[in-house]
Amino acid sequence: MTDKQLRADGISRSYKSTEVLHSVSLTLEPGKIYGLIGRNGAGKTTLLSILSAQNYASAGAVTLGDAAVWENRESLSHICFARELNISADSGLSSIKLKEYLRIASCCYTHWDGSMAARLLRDFDLNPKKQLSQLSKGMLSMVTILVALCSKADYTFLDEPAAGLDSIARENFYRLLLDEYTETGRTFVLSTHIIDEAADLMEDVLILKEGSLIYSGSTQSLMDRCFHVSGRIEDVDAAVNGLHILHPETFGRSKSVSVLLEPGEEISDEYGVSVQPMSLQKIFSSLCGKDGDSHEKPKAS
Amino acid sequence: MKELLTQEKSIYLQIKEMIENDILRDILLEEERVPSTNELAKLYAINPATAAKGINLLVDESIVYKKRGIGMFVAAGAKEHIRAKRRESFYDTYIRGLLTEAESLGITREELITMIQDTNHGGETYDR
Repeated sequence: MTDKQLRADGISRSYKSTEVLHSVSLTLEPGKIYGLIGRNGAGKTTLLSILSAQNYASAGAVTLGDAAVWENRESLSHICFARELNISADSGLSSIKLKEYLRIASCCYTHWDGSMAARLLRDFDLNPKKQLSQLSKGMLSMVTILVALCSKADYTFLDEPAAGLDSIARENFYRLLLDEYTETGRTFVLSTHIIDEAADLMEDVLILKEGSLIYSGSTQSLMDRCFHVSGRIEDVDAAVNGLHILHPETFGRSKSVSVLLEPGEEISDEYGVSVQPMSLQKIFSSLCGKDGDSHEKPKAS
Repeated sequence: MKELLTQEKSIYLQIKEMIENDILRDILLEEERVPSTNELAKLYAINPATAAKGINLLVDESIVYKKRGIGMFVAAGAKEHIRAKRRESFYDTYIRGLLTEAESLGITREELITMIQDTNHGGETYDR
């Protein structure tokens, strides 16, 4: 188990003339579960693929401890990027059997756990003799999860692992992930659109918006700072006067806003407005939705 | 420890209160082992650090204590401690909100007191 941090320093990435990541810097600590959230096209997959050296950065560098990750076999033996599998007829993967795919994975990942793979194949009811093209979307998600868990890599990235799964399979996945995490203390980065379900798993959260990292820090402290305030228009305006407001909405005489508090600030309680905590998904919508503040960049705490 | 988590409140506070509830209701007895942070994490599908934060609040209030290498245990006197604490916050938690709501509905103090007096023990519905 490595005790090294995985760091990204100012990584940018352009595809042709379009820059999709803008100077992203972050530090992943060993032994944490991170959530990576962002809208479609925000750059999540590009970021994860650069962190795992499956893609190159146009600028900036990724290091594990003091060593670069790019073309470094030692560093890469600690990193696994389990991509979402998209099998199309021409992808070259479609005619490969599941057991062959797992054999390739076992060669790629130095610390591969073959007995765990056999156990998960049974638990997930996956037939290793089937071709990948014969597997349903849910089964392909299970393959992604299986590869991620069995890689035993210290830093494991799961890209949309829950997307194809039904709600019961997702709950099983969260438990499986926690089992592995509590036993080994590996670091996981989980990208997901099903935010509220997975929010309680994420010790820290990384929020990507249009290629920029707008928040990186404790999930709990972000949630402790965000509130939904509603009431009569003039009361709400008075209660949140001078505070950082996101996503204001009015409806008749009523108004609601999301508020992002800075340290030491509070919402005045003399105006009889209702103040409610927000779920991570609501916070995400306020920060990244169309009406969200485009200059938004909450400081990590 | 079988209550459901809600979105209304921080998860670590809910974990803390659920353990307190279990102690109050004799589901967890004094000097008995409290579920570990890893057990709580798996039970509720939450991050172990969140569960630990809840447990640590209980340690700070001396409701549970740590036996090195074995786990967390319910302290002697924990139940009475929780009762005393909740009795103290009873006004803020229940009465204040009750009075505000009653006031906005035009229910007088006298009517409130009658409702309370006429309610059967065990919290059965007030019969109007």
